[in-house]
Amino acid sequence: MLNVTLKGLAAHKRRLFGTCLAVFLGIAFLSGTLVLGDTLRANFDTLFADANAGTDAIVRSASTIEADGGRGPDLDGRTLVPSALADRVRSVAGVAAAEPSIEGYGQLIGNDGKAIGGNGPPRLAGNWITDPELNPYKLVEGRAPQTTGEVVVNRGAAEAGKLRVGDTTIVQTPEPVPVTVVGIASFGTGDGFGEVTFTAFNLQGAEAHVTKKPGVASSIVVRAEPGVNEEVLAERVRPLAGDGNEVLTGTQFTAESTDQIGRDFLDIFTTFLTVFAGVALLVASFSIYNTFSILVAQRSRESALLRALGAARAQIVTSVVVEALLIGLVASVAGLLGGVAIAGLLKGLFDSFGFSLPAGGLAFQASTAVICMVVGMVVTLAAGVFPAVKASRVAPVAALREHAVEAVRASRLRAVAGAVLTALGVAVVLSAVLGGGDSVLAVAGLGAVLTMVGVVVFGPVVARPAAGVVGWPLLRLRGVTGALARQNAMRNPRRTSGTAAALMVGVGVVTLFTVFAASIRSSIDDTVSRSFGGDLVVNTGSFGGGGLSPALAPELAALPEVRTAVGLGQGVVQVDGDGKRITVADVANLGKVLDLEVQEGALERLGPTEMAVSSDEAEAQGWSIGSTAGIRFVDGATASFTVAAIYDVGDVAGDYVVSRAAWAPHAGQDVDSQVLIGLEQGVGLTAGKAAVTAVTAAAGGASVLDRKEYVASVAQGVDMMLGIVYVLLFLAIVIALMGIANTLSLAIHERTRELGLLRAVGQTRRQLRAMVRWESVIIALFGTVGGLGLGVFLGWALVQAASAEGFATFAAPTGQLAVVLVAGAVAGVLAGLGPARRAARLDVLQAIGTS
Amino acid sequence: MTSTTTSTGETTAIRVAARAVHATKIYGSESTEVRALDDVSVELPGGRFTAVMGPSGSGKSTLMHCVAGLDTLTSGQVFLGTLELGALSDKELTLVRREQVGFVFQAFNLLPTLTALENITLPLDLAGAKPDPDWLDTVVDTVGLRDRLSHRPSELSGGQQQRVAVARALASRPQIVFADEPTGNLDSRAGAEILAFMAAAVRDMGQTVAMVTHDPVAASYADAVVFLADGRVAGHLADPTPQTVLDSLKSLKG
Ligand SMILES: Nc1ncnc2c1ncn2[C@@H]1O[C@H](COP(=O)(O)OP(=O)(O)O)[C@@H](O)[C@H]1O
Ligand SMILES: [Mg+2]
Repeated sequence: MLNVTLKGLAAHKRRLFGTCLAVFLGIAFLSGTLVLGDTLRANFDTLFADANAGTDAIVRSASTIEADGGRGPDLDGRTLVPSALADRVRSVAGVAAAEPSIEGYGQLIGNDGKAIGGNGPPRLAGNWITDPELNPYKLVEGRAPQTTGEVVVNRGAAEAGKLRVGDTTIVQTPEPVPVTVVGIASFGTGDGFGEVTFTAFNLQGAEAHVTKKPGVASSIVVRAEPGVNEEVLAERVRPLAGDGNEVLTGTQFTAESTDQIGRDFLDIFTTFLTVFAGVALLVASFSIYNTFSILVAQRSRESALLRALGAARAQIVTSVVVEALLIGLVASVAGLLGGVAIAGLLKGLFDSFGFSLPAGGLAFQASTAVICMVVGMVVTLAAGVFPAVKASRVAPVAALREHAVEAVRASRLRAVAGAVLTALGVAVVLSAVLGGGDSVLAVAGLGAVLTMVGVVVFGPVVARPAAGVVGWPLLRLRGVTGALARQNAMRNPRRTSGTAAALMVGVGVVTLFTVFAASIRSSIDDTVSRSFGGDLVVNTGSFGGGGLSPALAPELAALPEVRTAVGLGQGVVQVDGDGKRITVADVANLGKVLDLEVQEGALERLGPTEMAVSSDEAEAQGWSIGSTAGIRFVDGATASFTVAAIYDVGDVAGDYVVSRAAWAPHAGQDVDSQVLIGLEQGVGLTAGKAAVTAVTAAAGGASVLDRKEYVASVAQGVDMMLGIVYVLLFLAIVIALMGIANTLSLAIHERTRELGLLRAVGQTRRQLRAMVRWESVIIALFGTVGGLGLGVFLGWALVQAASAEGFATFAAPTGQLAVVLVAGAVAGVLAGLGPARRAARLDVLQAIGTS
Repeated sequence: MTSTTTSTGETTAIRVAARAVHATKIYGSESTEVRALDDVSVELPGGRFTAVMGPSGSGKSTLMHCVAGLDTLTSGQVFLGTLELGALSDKELTLVRREQVGFVFQAFNLLPTLTALENITLPLDLAGAKPDPDWLDTVVDTVGLRDRLSHRPSELSGGQQQRVAVARALASRPQIVFADEPTGNLDSRAGAEILAFMAAAVRDMGQTVAMVTHDPVAASYADAVVFLADGRVAGHLADPTPQTVLDSLKSLKG
């Protein structure tokens, strides 16, 4: 029996190749995801270990405020410590060195006048630590900074910005500081701390430009004398640390940093990728299942003969199991290895979208191999065995009949089961979405899965009429060629729907994301364009919390073309113990450019201990005008703030707004993230923009956007995510297309005699190719339309679920969906190209002779 | 097509529908060489029913395929009417097949997804041509399929399927119809029907038919018989009866 299996395998090379490819791609994606995750984890580990290699203890404030992202990136802030603490620590026995370390925002400008660094990694400025062992950066060129206007920059940043020792440039902290580069440093042996840019002043320089307060630092870093254990050291330093400060050993600090990256970024990142690997695998398993179904059907004549000759049912199944195992094994091993390449591609993908990840050797762990092998073998086996068991039930007589042996009509059981599952799924989704409640998303998700399963089960029932409808225009437009293609697509509904299902899942997920993104985008568009009453915006980009000097807004306001210029800054405070993001603004003028739709109170007269809150937040906290809340700032200061205004539109300003007067005394680095500008009456947009750009260019070139560009930039994050999602889903679509190509190849193999006959009675090669391609298009369109329907419904449900949290209102992006539809048809043509070409190459006489 | 009405002149009373001139077909390479046709020259006169007979492997099918433009000769020439097929491209041969030739194979003549009527008009549809309704009616009535037109092949008996095939072969009013053992898979009654239809198509409708057969009775429906043996023409017989065919076959062997 094994012999028969192996001979069978050899005889079906092309079809095997298609099946292997589907498994291979799915596993490669999974493997790539795991490898990339492990690699990043390992790289972050080494980075932090390197960064803290010479540090045996660190003293810092225990007081920190963290606010989670909400509508933007996470922010946190930690209270500063007195630099003088370093002197006291130095006196402790066993301390070899102790130095204040300052770290803050500093955007380095390159030789071309452009900001260095992408959207993701931080751009830092701080002090050059003079103890060479405490300082993870090593000078590779030049010298340490000696005056406040001299800096050392990391090698990666220097190369990116084409900066050399002796060059003068600007660092925005966020005020533009003119500096001379006196040294270039490596980080360990690398170019930098990942993609982070670092600009080091001397201590006085960092105090002047970064903390802007003499005598305070982010932390004190401590090195032990040889032979002194770091825990012993930490123990000795602790009594001196002072109230509200904490002492960590170097090891603890490294672990904490690594943890934080894991929690904040890597876990989400790998989960995100794994979801797509899952989709790819799901699509792949449809393709495998379908290929095996057809192979088994084609072979059932042969196997019926075997059975007629006395082979047991189990033997038939065994032969397929062996085949599936072999395919699973080969394809999984290949996929595992291919994953290394995919990991590289994925990294490139994120780089190209501006999320630079730390590079370094790939980490390939045993667990990756185990997971990939197991998943690959199980998926292939499951997809192969089911049709085999079915085939083994075929009565020998039926299998020996002249015409196709597969049941052509879908069974009643299937129709009922499919309909019930679909209806149930839709009902669950609807009840979750319309009924509301706590776990809307979870329940709706369950309903979504049910719906999807139901639709897949129901597919064969509708495949015949659906393919008929989809192919109907061909009857008119393409004559007999179209009619034949349509008939071929309709003749085996189970196969058509099985093939289309893979594409349907892929297109469904694409549509879901498209609809969701479009809905978010359109609600952003709506509220931003409704609330933003100005003409121009100076922006630093929506990611990475870049900074503009608070001095920029007044400078712009002084321009004759500009009527109003209001800076918006961001910060974190604790409100009654919870970390919150706040917006800091010149409240007197804010209303002139931004309509927050104030319901109660007066935003423009906000005092130094007053705040404005969004109506959502007021409701959540149970506040009304006059309510008070305890506020704690990053510098440790506390105050009681009164709610003095409540507004409706939080899309630009967030949930809290305070005046600059309230914030500035407590801010380490007071930073504006954007400046909203209203032009004078009669000043044209072009002229206004030119005037504003002239000022910002001198200050290091933040972008100046008009209304339309601004709305687009606020939604830019959504588009960026969507771009990445599309690229990832592209793989699933490719797998689905290979499934279609595979099915067509198998079908052509089955229909060799028909094709021969058609050619004999006068079908030209061109007509034959067109016939195969059109069949492919019909199947692809069937899958695409199904996916669109499913995706729009689930997208709608997701938007409804999310809108309960004030995120978005449903918007169907008809243009984009039309593009998806056309892309589906084009994809069908592409999938059909190969099979059509092979079909047209058939030798007519041989084809007629084939039995 | 242009050649259909061409008369070869006063000297020849009957036009030649198809002919082979020194036709040779060699399969395989030198060591395994098979001469399926070895310098065969035959004429298939228009408006006549010609049977081709000979032992299995004598080259009957090969001859048909080459004359019908399904296969090409190793050397020699074949003509459909006055058109020489040797110089034609695959595309041109395909067009010749669908416009000037009708086919009836031994089995698997019909597309399972099409109805009987759609199968009949298939070559015309492929050419994008409208069937001549009167002619189509005549053909359908001749083969007696009027009440089966909307059936699919799986709903028809073997004999009915072959009748559809004959109707399809005639539907485009081709220069010549080739039938390769069209009754080989049928019982004698159904076979007799098919033969009668083909004879009627020649007699009453002026069509030209060339049929390969093993069966002396089948051959007796024809106006003339060409005998092949070992890839060569081994004899002719006019106005065959089962008995004269049998006699000829015997003398060929002897
Ligand atoms: N495709 C082919 N390849 C090799 N030999 C062939 C091929 N087709 C036919 N032959 C050989 O050519 C000879 C004539 O075949 P054929 O015309 O089919 O005979 P008939 O129809 O009279 O039985 C036979 O010996 C046959 O084996
Ligand atoms: Mg033959």
